[in-house]
Amino acid sequence: MATVIGGNGGNGPEGRPPARTRTLPPPQVPSGARGVAGTGPELVTPPLVVRRREEEETVVTFPALIFREFLAGLGIFALLMLISIFVNAPLLQRANTAITPNPAKAPWYFLGLQELLQRFPPIMAGVAFPTFVITGMILTPYLDKNPSRRPQDRKVAVTLFTLYAVLAVAFVVVGVFFRAEAFTWDWLKVLGHPGVNPEV
Amino acid sequence: MSATETPTNPLVRMMGQVWGSIFRHGLPTSDKVAARTALTNFFLHIHPVRVKKSAIRVSYTLCLGGLSFFLFIVLTISGLFLMFYYIPSVDQAYQNIKDLQFVATFGLVIRNLHRWAAHAMVITVWLHMARVFYQGAYKPPREFNWTIGTLLLLTTLLLSFSGYLLPWDQLAVWAITVGTNMAKYAPIAGPYTRYIMLGGRNVGQGALIRFYVLHVIALPLIGFLLMVVHFWRVRKDGFTGGL
Ligand code: HEM
Repeated sequence: MATVIGGNGGNGPEGRPPARTRTLPPPQVPSGARGVAGTGPELVTPPLVVRRREEEETVVTFPALIFREFLAGLGIFALLMLISIFVNAPLLQRANTAITPNPAKAPWYFLGLQELLQRFPPIMAGVAFPTFVITGMILTPYLDKNPSRRPQDRKVAVTLFTLYAVLAVAFVVVGVFFRAEAFTWDWLKVLGHPGVNPEV
Repeated sequence: MSATETPTNPLVRMMGQVWGSIFRHGLPTSDKVAARTALTNFFLHIHPVRVKKSAIRVSYTLCLGGLSFFLFIVLTISGLFLMFYYIPSVDQAYQNIKDLQFVATFGLVIRNLHRWAAHAMVITVWLHMARVFYQGAYKPPREFNWTIGTLLLLTTLLLSFSGYLLPWDQLAVWAITVGTNMAKYAPIAGPYTRYIMLGGRNVGQGALIRFYVLHVIALPLIGFLLMVVHFWRVRKDGFTGGL
């Protein structure tokens, strides 16, 4: 049975804003709405997308989706609680501007920037690259004109993003585990240099 | 719930009325009741009444957007508790954190929870962005929601960064010193930007109160507003659904 999808609570059909879709299942349309009597259904706004029901099977949100959300929330909360009970958040000595820890590191999610600063002139690493990445991200949907969502059709986009993702993760891992005094490379740091106290 | 069996005891009848006035539709015994519940409940109304089966498969969203939002709520509530003890003064902040760890009941767990949930949120938001990218879910008509998402990612990072300073220990002050030093490199505006961020030339009381206000009021409000718009648009555009 063919059925009209759209206006069903925000599940807009692919690629169209749902505001433009119409739900006009034939039995619910009063005969008056079919235009001037006798002129037939030509004047009725045609449904924009007609799909088979089997392709777009829906379920009631409550409880099907709500239950999953509840489980997901419960799961991550339990996990965080466990971590919080057994692992304490770090707290070092009281702040002292006279003693510079070595290395002084930015929070982990900014270590990529710190890594870049290590390798490129500040104007590049601190300004040009971040501006490029942020503008690039914001503009992504407007630059990517490829209408397909299938990975096979989006090789360039997928490759570029994967490159970015791998670099971003690699920089963080390097910054956290392999950068030692004065932010120099140190293979042994990850093992904790037995016998040496790294904390200031 | 059927209205036929009216209890005779007036107290029970009144309790039934109270219950019925709050929960209008009883348990979701049929799709119809379930749909009516979702339609009339404020909190459930954020969802459409029906969703595509393909869109709520865990393998599709990996729950990452929802989990990011959940973590935001966990952070808001645990942060509220921390605020009862924390005073944003360079003379007191560090001691307040020590008290939270060793004196206040459950203070340690709440502080840990706040810290780990904050790290987790940076990760889930980033992964959510990655899943949206790989599924091409930013394509029309959802281009602008991706842009809002980008702003949400930045807000999440800034929230975490501003919170980093508050314990006022060596880790905090030096991480912020390194972080804000990066701002210095922008041509012309750089040094001024850093001065404005820190309220001075060094990380001191001026910086602490700025970061505190940003962390507990400005950024959460901005984040919340962006989320409201983000969710509204997800709701209006629908999930992209299976590939
Ligand atoms: C605080 C951060 C964020 C929160 C709480 C959040 C929340 C959500 C939620 C709950 C959804 C519904 C689907 C799902 O659970 O995955 C969603 C969808 C979406 N999000 Fe986010 N999000 C955040 C950040 C981002 C970021 C950083 C981006 C991208 C740069 C983004 C882009 C999108 C897009 C395009 C959709 C629609 C996806 C679809 O239709 O399949 N969001 N978001």
